[in-house]
Amino acid sequence: MSTTTLLRDGQQVSAYHEQLTKQDLLEIYRRLWFARLFDEALYDAKKKGRLRRGNVYGSRGQEAIMVGTTYPLHEDDFVSPIHRDMPVFVFRGMRLEEVMCQIWGKAEAPTRGKDSWSHMGDISKGIIHSTSMLGSTIAVACGVLWAQRLDGRRDRVLVAYTGEGATATGPFHEGLNFAAVHKLPLIVVVENNQYAYSTPVELEVPTKTVAERALGYGIPGYSIDGNDVLEVYDTMCAALEHARAGNGPVLIECVTYRLQGHADHDETRARQYRPVEEIELWEQRDPIPRFRNYLLNTGQFTEAELPEPPRDLVEQIQRAIEYAINSPDPEPHTALEDIYDESAGVSRCVK
Amino acid sequence: MREVTFLEAIRLAIWEEMERDPNVFIIGEDIGRMGGAFGVTEGFLARFGPDRVVDAPISETAIVAVCVGAAAVGKRGIAEMQFIDFISYAFDQVVNVAGTYLYRSGGKVPIPIVVRGPSGGYVGGSLYHSQQFEAWFFHTPGVKVVQPAFPDDAYGLMKASIRDNNPVVFYEHKYLYRRIKGPIPEAHEDYIVKLGEARIRRYGDDITVITYGAMVHFALEAAQRLEREGISLEVIDLRTLKPLDMDTIAESLQKTSRVLIVHEAPKTGGIGAEISARISEHYFEWLDAPIMRVAAKDAFVPFAEPLEKFVLPSVDEIVFAARELAAY
Ligand SMILES: Cc1ncc(C[n+]2csc(CCOP(=O)(O)OP(=O)(O)O)c2C)c(N)n1
Repeated sequence: MSTTTLLRDGQQVSAYHEQLTKQDLLEIYRRLWFARLFDEALYDAKKKGRLRRGNVYGSRGQEAIMVGTTYPLHEDDFVSPIHRDMPVFVFRGMRLEEVMCQIWGKAEAPTRGKDSWSHMGDISKGIIHSTSMLGSTIAVACGVLWAQRLDGRRDRVLVAYTGEGATATGPFHEGLNFAAVHKLPLIVVVENNQYAYSTPVELEVPTKTVAERALGYGIPGYSIDGNDVLEVYDTMCAALEHARAGNGPVLIECVTYRLQGHADHDETRARQYRPVEEIELWEQRDPIPRFRNYLLNTGQFTEAELPEPPRDLVEQIQRAIEYAINSPDPEPHTALEDIYDESAGVSRCVK
Repeated sequence: MREVTFLEAIRLAIWEEMERDPNVFIIGEDIGRMGGAFGVTEGFLARFGPDRVVDAPISETAIVAVCVGAAAVGKRGIAEMQFIDFISYAFDQVVNVAGTYLYRSGGKVPIPIVVRGPSGGYVGGSLYHSQQFEAWFFHTPGVKVVQPAFPDDAYGLMKASIRDNNPVVFYEHKYLYRRIKGPIPEAHEDYIVKLGEARIRRYGDDITVITYGAMVHFALEAAQRLEREGISLEVIDLRTLKPLDMDTIAESLQKTSRVLIVHEAPKTGGIGAEISARISEHYFEWLDAPIMRVAAKDAFVPFAEPLEKFVLPSVDEIVFAARELAAY
C-alpha cells in the first residue's frame, strides 16, 4: 500500500505495519467490517422501527480511523470516543450486548438507560465518558492523565477523538494547550470528515489542514489519509512512541468523509447541502475494499480468506441487537438514582 | 391572520424584523446553508446574505460574544443555540458579559441581543437535548427570560425581544415546534407582545394554574378533564418569566385563592419557588390552601422512555395536584 503520509517536519513515519503478522492483518480486516456492519445494522433497525428512540450517528467510511488508532494501544491505555466512534467501545473491551443495551436505553446499559448513544464509558477498561458538549472531552482527558502522573504512570496514553468541527470549541483549545504545557501523553485524533453537520470544513477551520492547529501548541501535527488503515496505524504508532517518551501531546488529523447524513434523520438534506458527486467520489475511496485489495495484491491472502462481509460478524451483531431488544427496560424509579454518591471518601472507579 | 406552526411563527417574526431593521443579524451553527437544525432560518441566507445570516463554527461562546460586541456598537444580534442546552458554553457571555454591560457602563451601553434555541423534553433527547435551565438566567440580573406556548405569542414576543434593549434568553420548546398551530397577525399589523405580561389562556374560578412553555398545553388539557368533575382551572401562561407579571397572578389569585404552579424544569430552585415566595410575601391572606407545585423531579432528563416519563411532569400529575388542592 502506498503510504504517502504528510508528516511532521516532512519526515516519513516508519512502516510500523510491516511488523504486523498475518493474523494481525486479518484481525484489522475483520474490525473494519465489524465497524461497517455495526453501522448498517443500526441504520436498518432504525428504519424498520425496531429502534424507536435516539439518533443513529453513522460512521460509514470512517472505519479505518477507529481500527487504525486503537489497534496499537496497550491494554491499560485510555480512550475517549464520541458520537461516530461506537465500534471503539467494543474494540476496547466493552461487550457488544452492553453497547446495544445502551443504544436501546435498557437497564443493563452502562448508563442504566440514563443517557443515550456514545455517552457512556467504562473506567475499568480505560474508556472515558463523553457528553454532547463537543470538545469537552479534550480537557477532561488532561485530568485523567494528570491522575496517572500522580500515580507515577506517565507511560499511559489517552486517545481522545473529536470531529474537525469541535476543534473550534473553547475546551478543545484549553485542553490541548494545558496538555502541551504540561507534556501530557494525550493523542487527539481529529476525524476530519469535512462537514460538521451541514457546515463545510472551510467555515470551521481557517488553516489548510486541521493539523496546523498543532503549531499553536508547539506539538507535532499530522495530516493523514484517514481511509488508509495502515497509514493511520503507522502514524498512531509514531504518536504513541512520542507521547510515551514524555514528549507531550500529538494531534493526528485523519482526513475522511462522512458518507451518510449527520444522523439517520438527515439523509435527505445531506444530499442537498453537499454535492452528490462529492459523496460519490468518496464512496470510491471506501477504506474496506481498499485494504482488502492491498491484502490481495501483496499476495498475503486469498479471496476466500477475506469474505465480504464475514458472516459471523453479521450474526454476532444481530444477536446482540436481539439481546438488547429483549432485555428489560429500567424501572422508572431508578431515574432518581445515581444523582449523588453518598459513600463519602471512597474512590470507586480505579482502573 | 395567518395559520402557522409554532416554528413558522418564530421564523416569520425573525424574518420580518430583519426586513424592518438592517441592524438585525443572526448567527449560529448550520443556520445559513442548511437553514438551521430545525429549519427556523430556512431561506434566510438567500434573502439576507452571509453577513446577516452567519454560519458559525461550533463555538457557542463566540456566537453569543459576537452578538454582544456588535450590540455594544449598535447592532442587534440573534444567537441561535442549536439546542438551548449548549448555552452552557456561553454562560459567561450571557451572565457576566451581556448581563452586566449596561450596569458597568454607567447606563450607557445597552446590549440588545436575543439568545434563542430549542428547549425541553418529551422527545427522547436525553441529558443534553432536553433541558429547561431557564432558572439559571432567571437568577441573573440584567437578563430577561421568555418562553412562549402559542404561535401568536411566539411571534409577538420574538419581535419584542429583538426590539428590546436588553439581553433576552428565548426558550422555544421543540415539542411545540410542529405540533402546535395557530393564527398570527399579518406582517403589516406590526404585532408585538410586550415583555413582562402574562396572559390568561383559560378562565376559571377554583384554582389558578401558573405555568409556561409546553406545560401550558398540559395544564389546558388537565383543565378540560377537571371541568367534567366540576373543578374549574384558570390557566395563566406567564410568557415572560423575567420580568415576572405578578399583577396578573394576584388578580387571578384574588378570585381563586388557590395556586398551582407547573413547570417542566426541576422543582428545586425553579421559577415556581420564586413565584411561591412572592405570593407568600404579598398575598398570604388571600390563600385558602398551601401553594402547590408540579415540576420535574430533581434529576436530569434521562434517555429511556420509562425514566423520562418518571422525571418529567405529566397531565395526570397536574390533575391529581389540582384535585388535592380543590379538596383542601
Ligand atoms: C457544544 C456543542 N454545540 C453544538 C452541538 C450540536 N452538534 C452535534 S454534532 C455537531 C457537528 C459536529 O461536527 P464535527 O465535530 O465535525 O463531528 P462530526 O459530526 O462531523 O463527526 C453539532 C454542531 C453539540 N453537540 N455541542
